[in-house]
Amino acid sequence: MSHNKDQQQEFRELAGWIIEQTKKAGANDCKVSLSKRRFVDINYRDRKPEVIKEATTQSLYLAVFVDNRFAGQSTPDFRKSTLAGFITDLIDSARLMEEDPFRTLPDPKYYTGRKDKDLELSDPGHQQLTPENRHLMVKTVEDACLQKGGEKVISVEAGEHDEIWEDFVQTSNGFEGSTQGTYYQIGASMTAQDEGDRRPAGYHYIGCRYRSDLPSLQEIGSKAAERTLDLMGGKKIATETLPVIIENRVAPRVLNGLLGPMSGSSIQQKRSFLADMKGTQLGSKLFTLIDDPFIPRGLGSEYFDNDGFPARRREFITGGIINDFLIDWYYSRKLGCEPTTGSFSNIILPPGDRNLESIIKDLGRCILITDFIGGNSNSTTGDFSLGVIGKLFDKGQFVQNIAEMNMADNHLKFWNKLAEAGNDPWNYSSVRLPSLVFDDIVVAGI
Amino acid sequence: MKSIPRRKFIKGTAMAGGALLLLPELEGAMFLNANAGTNYFMQEFGIDENLCQKLLAKALSRGGDFADLYFEYSVSNYLGLEDGKVNQSYGNISLGVGIRTVKGDQIGYGFTQELTPESMLSAATTASTLCDMTATSVSSSFTRPKTGNYYPVSEDFNGIPVKSKLPVLQTIHEKCFSLSPEIVKVNAGFSNVVKRIMVVTSDGVMAEDIIPSGFVYSSVVAERNGKREQSSWNLGGRRDFSYYNEAVINEVAARSVENALKLFEAILPPAGEIPVVLGPGVTGILLHEAIGHGMEADFNRKNVSTYSTMLGKKVAEPFVNIVDDATNMNLAGSINVDDEGVPGKKTMLVENGILTSYIHDKISAKHYGLEPTGNGRRQDFQNYPMPRMRNTYMTGGDASPEDIIKQAGNGIYVENVSNGQVKIGEGDFAFYVSQGRLIENGKLTAPIKDVNIMGNGPKMLANITMAANDLEMYHGGAGQCGKNGQGVPVSFGLPTCLVKSLTVGGTLQKGGQS
Repeated sequence: MSHNKDQQQEFRELAGWIIEQTKKAGANDCKVSLSKRRFVDINYRDRKPEVIKEATTQSLYLAVFVDNRFAGQSTPDFRKSTLAGFITDLIDSARLMEEDPFRTLPDPKYYTGRKDKDLELSDPGHQQLTPENRHLMVKTVEDACLQKGGEKVISVEAGEHDEIWEDFVQTSNGFEGSTQGTYYQIGASMTAQDEGDRRPAGYHYIGCRYRSDLPSLQEIGSKAAERTLDLMGGKKIATETLPVIIENRVAPRVLNGLLGPMSGSSIQQKRSFLADMKGTQLGSKLFTLIDDPFIPRGLGSEYFDNDGFPARRREFITGGIINDFLIDWYYSRKLGCEPTTGSFSNIILPPGDRNLESIIKDLGRCILITDFIGGNSNSTTGDFSLGVIGKLFDKGQFVQNIAEMNMADNHLKFWNKLAEAGNDPWNYSSVRLPSLVFDDIVVAGI
Repeated sequence: MKSIPRRKFIKGTAMAGGALLLLPELEGAMFLNANAGTNYFMQEFGIDENLCQKLLAKALSRGGDFADLYFEYSVSNYLGLEDGKVNQSYGNISLGVGIRTVKGDQIGYGFTQELTPESMLSAATTASTLCDMTATSVSSSFTRPKTGNYYPVSEDFNGIPVKSKLPVLQTIHEKCFSLSPEIVKVNAGFSNVVKRIMVVTSDGVMAEDIIPSGFVYSSVVAERNGKREQSSWNLGGRRDFSYYNEAVINEVAARSVENALKLFEAILPPAGEIPVVLGPGVTGILLHEAIGHGMEADFNRKNVSTYSTMLGKKVAEPFVNIVDDATNMNLAGSINVDDEGVPGKKTMLVENGILTSYIHDKISAKHYGLEPTGNGRRQDFQNYPMPRMRNTYMTGGDASPEDIIKQAGNGIYVENVSNGQVKIGEGDFAFYVSQGRLIENGKLTAPIKDVNIMGNGPKMLANITMAANDLEMYHGGAGQCGKNGQGVPVSFGLPTCLVKSLTVGGTLQKGGQS
């Protein structure tokens, strides 16, 4: 599969035909989404391929609006001969629904203003990637991990995934948009022999849109081993209130508990502890959250959102104050307000200027959280509880690795304890957070 | 995409009017026996034995130990009620075949959504690239395995029609609001899937099945003195529409409302290591997470599970028996036949405190020189099978629940949990208690909520010191177990039992110090 104008034209013709048929069959409006994706997965273990997997998939999603009623269905079958029945069945389903005057396609005025900046979502070099390249990449990562892991290694699994896709969306009221993209993910996980029956497993995977943006493969493999060896001897300590640093790559796990309640559906359905907090102080002055869809090669970058609204940079939280919520078209109508967007693109929290080492040195006794396990966050109350894995430091000196411990708090208090952001945003994700320092957190253990 | 080396359990629930409930009866309905097979893929798509042989021969054209074909046609539907109206209908159709070539513990895998001979041969070619040897032969004939029938459905079962679901959701909505004036929002949903599968193996097995799954749920928000709490409940499993009667609908509504109201009184318990009593039923998630995953044989044959060296050894007190079972009637994890063509069965994992078996697929069974246990499961045709749990439970002991609570002294009693996660190598786990009670001086006192419980699987298993004779299975249908990016429906069960100590994560230190 490659990106080409023929594919886009094929999608456009099919979408146009579906819209015509759907309207003829009695729908007032409809939206068609078409996508095609080709991917390859290669995994190695014990220096031989463990899994080789490759396939192309396609999907068609049709949403119909019939007399203020709504239904949506997806199918992999693009044949016009079967789509005719698919369309009429879907319209019949919609007719059985109860009326919902809020469920419509967006007013077309909201479709205008899309920027045509090239977001570099598709790597032209993907076409040059051969099966031999892929195997070599995985072997290199595996070798580096095995070498760094040394005699502690029980098992190393290294893997590569790459994909190329094309999406096309058209609505009966004038929206059309398409996106082409590529994605690479490569890394390794290692299991090591620890005391007794403990076999800590660590991992390091990198995801990006361009192959040339991958760090060195040796570095990826070595890092997977380092992160595993860092887990050795992990034990719980007595329950304690102290500063914690949440490492950049795992910080989104905590932030997610705050992002969900910012959605229009949570607010309208009275499931959000943030519902009445627009314009009020939620966190410390350091807590700013920006949604930026225009980062070239960004994993969350986009030209338009799910409603077809043009992508726009927004500052949802500034200096701890909530400016806006995620309001899509449907919930904007239910809430009686202007829509913003229904989903985040790339989330940014501005980094600070110190690295982790300097921060740890100045913190006294603190825990660096390197991973979370289990846990949950209550969207109605803001209470959350997460299992933590990490390292205990005292005055910059490593004391011990910790495991089987827990961090609990409430988001309304927690973000006020944000004391510093590191200079290390994790850009291999659509949630680009630096390491974050929080004061006075209860970490439960013995 | 690679998943991180963790196993997760996610209890899928909450997402998003009034009428009388009229439930059609299935009087005198004929029930299909899965053994008989339906020749569905032959009739609908022209997949005959000759074509299967050609595809398997292609998959083994460069060698390999065995190959298999997994045909799937599934239709899923979701109907949602929000703000008093059944106003959302979503559906998905999935069709395709996955073709696997296996050599030792190596897998070549291709799949296609087009059931044309050309596309399927191309997928078989992809699978074959794993090997580079001379061709392996394919059985010249296929036999259908004898299986049980753990989810009989009516002969013309083709899912549950939309019209039948509407009154169910409308009744839940009315019922919830009628139960308490403090309820301010109700969401309800009805999800169901009908999956038809056919597994054909190069060693001569051809198995077919019709697999229903689904659930109905209610999710409510209650408001009291400016505070809000939410809770949800679901019931379902491998069932047809006859299950969703008035009693089931009432229970779904009542449990969601009761649980939400209880939370207004709930406090966060003290943090630290304390005795934990697990109430019966849904707390079986802990068994699934902390113990079951580590016993999946792929982790053990790779030597990466904390249980890798424990087979045949004492892992628990002698009264502890743990079972992974495909044969429970209508539970979410029941299977007539697994996704490798092996009939579903009951497997003892821990017997009288001794670890007696792992959970096997064909690859791991061959590795250990054993018969497969019928645990080779996959999410869909786009994925290859792995050892997965089905319905995992611990049988009962002889203590009374009251004695167990008394014995705990000061600790917590866990009533409801929402999700959990385990690290296979360390055995460390965490799971989220959405509802429970404090135990003070051997008595249940204040309700608690929103805390994590942390522990280590083998340690916890060894620390189960009492169990009651009140085993309860989870009858929800929304439970999905995740492993390497694949979700499969499962169930679990537990009697009331006492775990000597686990770490409870709260915001108060023991003794009330904040």
